Amino acid sequence: MGIMLTLFLLPIIASVFTLLLPFERVHYFISASVLVILSASAFLLYSSPEIVTFQLSHIMNLLVVVADIILLLYFLYQGIKFKSGNVILLSVVQLLLYGYVESIAPIAGSAEIVVDNLSKFMFLIINGVGGIIVLYAVRYMRDEAVSATKKSLFIAGLLLFISIMNLIVCANSILLFFLLFEMTTLASYLLISFRNDPLSRANGLKALWMNQIGGVVILVAALVAIEGFGTVMFDTLLKSSGGMVLFTVALLAMSALVKGASLPFEGWLLGAMVAPTPVSAMLHSATMVKIAPYLILKLAPVLGATLLGNFFSVMGALVFVAASYLALSRFVFKEILGYSTVALLGLMMALAAIGTKESMTLAMVLMVFHALSKALLFLSAGVLEKQYHVKSIEEMKGLVHRAPKTVGFILFGFVSLTLPPFGLFMGKLLAITSISSLLRERPILLIVVLSLVIGSALLVLLYFKVASAILSSPCDIHPSEKEYLPYGFSIPLWLLTLYSIAVSLGFILLQKNLFIAWLALPLLVVILLPSMVTRMEQYDRIQPYHCGEKELFDAALVYYEPSIRVRQMIYWSFGMLFVAVAFIGVLS
Amino acid sequence: MTWIWILLAPLLGGLIYGGERVLRARMQRRQGPPLLQPFYDMFKLLDKRTLIIHAPHALLAVAHFLVLWFTIAAIFLGWNLLTIIFLHLFAQILLILAGYSVLSVYSHLGSNRELLMVVAYEPILIVVAVGFYLISGSFEISTILQGGGYWHQLPLLFVALLIIVPIKVKKSPFDVGEAHQEIVGGIEIEYSGVFYEFLYMSRFLEYIFIYSFVFLFGGESYWLGAVLVAGTFLVVNLVDNATARVHTADMLKIVYGVAMSLAIINLVGVLL
Amino acid sequence: MKFFTTFRKKSPWILHYNAGSCNGCDIEILASLAPKFDLERFGVINTGNPKQSDIFLVTGPVTYRSRERLVELYTQIPEPKVVVAVGSCTATGGVFRGMVNTEDGIDRYIPVDVYVPGCASSPQLIIDGLVKALEILEAKSKEIEKPFKLFGAIETIGNKLSRLNMAKKVHNDEN
Repeated sequence: MGIMLTLFLLPIIASVFTLLLPFERVHYFISASVLVILSASAFLLYSSPEIVTFQLSHIMNLLVVVADIILLLYFLYQGIKFKSGNVILLSVVQLLLYGYVESIAPIAGSAEIVVDNLSKFMFLIINGVGGIIVLYAVRYMRDEAVSATKKSLFIAGLLLFISIMNLIVCANSILLFFLLFEMTTLASYLLISFRNDPLSRANGLKALWMNQIGGVVILVAALVAIEGFGTVMFDTLLKSSGGMVLFTVALLAMSALVKGASLPFEGWLLGAMVAPTPVSAMLHSATMVKIAPYLILKLAPVLGATLLGNFFSVMGALVFVAASYLALSRFVFKEILGYSTVALLGLMMALAAIGTKESMTLAMVLMVFHALSKALLFLSAGVLEKQYHVKSIEEMKGLVHRAPKTVGFILFGFVSLTLPPFGLFMGKLLAITSISSLLRERPILLIVVLSLVIGSALLVLLYFKVASAILSSPCDIHPSEKEYLPYGFSIPLWLLTLYSIAVSLGFILLQKNLFIAWLALPLLVVILLPSMVTRMEQYDRIQPYHCGEKELFDAALVYYEPSIRVRQMIYWSFGMLFVAVAFIGVLS
Repeated sequence: MTWIWILLAPLLGGLIYGGERVLRARMQRRQGPPLLQPFYDMFKLLDKRTLIIHAPHALLAVAHFLVLWFTIAAIFLGWNLLTIIFLHLFAQILLILAGYSVLSVYSHLGSNRELLMVVAYEPILIVVAVGFYLISGSFEISTILQGGGYWHQLPLLFVALLIIVPIKVKKSPFDVGEAHQEIVGGIEIEYSGVFYEFLYMSRFLEYIFIYSFVFLFGGESYWLGAVLVAGTFLVVNLVDNATARVHTADMLKIVYGVAMSLAIINLVGVLL
Repeated sequence: MKFFTTFRKKSPWILHYNAGSCNGCDIEILASLAPKFDLERFGVINTGNPKQSDIFLVTGPVTYRSRERLVELYTQIPEPKVVVAVGSCTATGGVFRGMVNTEDGIDRYIPVDVYVPGCASSPQLIIDGLVKALEILEAKSKEIEKPFKLFGAIETIGNKLSRLNMAKKVHNDEN
């Protein structure tokens, strides 16, 4: 219990101190100690087997209601202030629905907060990766052109966000979940529009109204649950049977699709890339969007082999392919990362929705490794932005010559997302194996296998297209420049790298057959090769071959752009699939 | 015994390559080089002065060769088919990174095309592996080779594999990655001497890699496997002599349009 | 090593460059590579890439436009290498001798090992010339060979030998 309170309260206390003491050194100290304490407690909690439950008192429940109403009113106010019709409309709908739901809501029957194994697992990701990102944010904010107060506010906001995330993954009541869901929406709205220019504003509002759709859907789900079963608790709902369970589950899954920025809602996540990089890393790749696969994992016992489960996993798999394909036309590095996040979230949801024990474990494995690798990539992108003022991959050409260390981290990120023996590769490998074994009983999963295979190939194309831009370097006759990478940047990057190596090793050792360890052998070869570099001095250095020309010329990057018609078709069909989730829920 | 085969794998691949050059010459009614020509080339390359652009570029070729050899070893040892495909992907990525690591237009174009080729053949290879799994119940090569009946249960999948064999061994109509007339060999353009030799040998290993997939269709009957390999070898070379190179985009269209649909039809047929 | 040296003549890879020829000799070179004359039986591959070539087949009298490319290509071929000048104009300037925009033969720029005469040279002669060149190739050492004109510099930077500037750029005012 004490550990749990640490997880919820320590970030809040730390954020208060951050605001009170706006000095950089203090911020370093606070964020480092928060990182250590939070990850240690998350780990402790993970290793203890007990399941903690906690019932909110009456006053606390009242507070939840008040907070909810204030939040919705704030959304309405923002909608009116910035004249956004969507936001106003959705806020009003939410207010009305919420009022109605709250008026018929039953008195809580069971505990509102339940910390089960899934929550403990999520704590590991949220606190481990989130803490590192906060540490990084301190150095990142130094070069941001805003006042000292706003810098402190930013870091305090990130810390508060960790606390919200820690709560949302153990919320057992749909209404509490709704409040926290809306709070993450608020966080992404505020943090996206942090820079306060017109573009950030517009993208923030976009994120707001898109996520509000998720909120509305959750409220409808709560309504159906109350009407049908007289409960708002996840555990009671998932245990009960009857026609409407799947409809409720379908509605909740739809909110996961919105939060996971699946097509056609990927617009808000891409828009979020205008925010400062720690925000992109924290909210839009490593932690917040992980709510989507988390929710599906929570619902998975019901989804299972039903029509809805099959449909949902097929849809997730299709998102995986479509998002990887759409990413090929992008040239801003963070947008590319954003699209690949959308794609991989689709894959995780697909695996979770299949609902066998094995596939659920794999979804969790993918979650961990994706969080680590994507955080690493986003933070490196932030370094490039701050130190070299580079955003698009066109400007990244030959970066390896200027910034060898950062490029090393980026390459490691790509490699850990695609190649053996790292976790994501293992996840995909085992996913193909486990889905193939289900094919005889559920032939529809063939689509998932095919999408998994094609999407992975497309992602390889995507990542190594970016690598093509950064890697090209001239003859090494003159030594490359020494790169200055401040500790504030390098320590978080190293931490993430070591984490993902360590977790990969751990995962390999956990597998029953140790033979997989052999897969690390090729990597060892590659690591050992650089020791040969000094021996390469004996060979003559020469210019690249340009058909006899002496001048160097360069090849353009290749983009694979779908035509507007294809693009629209993709959006419309995914929009229809999204609506179809609800219908299928009603049908089954 | 297996270890001796693994050690001799480059030699075996070299013989296949030499035999192919003779076969191609005979198809054009000419004498052609001697059977051992690839080995003569290798020895000559050892005797040349070596020019490199920079050290990582040269070393990546060595790494590519070593990882590919490891992959071939995995095949001979009868490991998991999926693992083998991904190890091969690893080797291929090393080569692609090598191509990108120099400031050379042709090398970049070659790497780009190589990436598109990976996108084209990789899914088909995995689908073939899934096909084997559905029939034999395992991804392990050693188990697959104990079963039988792949040949008549997965005929369309075999055709799909046949379509991607030319991509892997860089034969017309899908030799876009090499394309000597347009991009002077693409990735291999900046290599010379000893380091080119590694790429030259890795081409031998690619032959073994892709033809062992063909061999698996024979299952327990090694004779059937050998016949399939020989037949594929003939057909691929015949097609190579008779066709021109297609555009890269067309290659993708053909593979995804024809080969993928055939594979899907076959798998659906097996499942229902 | 002595053992490997014997294989030089078993696998000669050629680079073919047209330094302003009328295309007559080029067609003949292609004819000798084609099935009828089948140069591949000697292990010849037309690589099109200097870095992997042993024999430099040049046609044409060297127009002013092509000379720096000629020298650049020559310096990019790793030693041991031989140069075969195919056709009369490559040897002496031929019908182009004394013209305002060409040089008189390639041997003013790079050392030539074998001259193959003829306007245009025939495939039989080209094959003869190549076989002659193989003997010279076998006897050569691995020392760096330098072009006669447009020679820049071979620098040693650190322990690395740079051939980056071996071929100099032609400026418009110097002929």
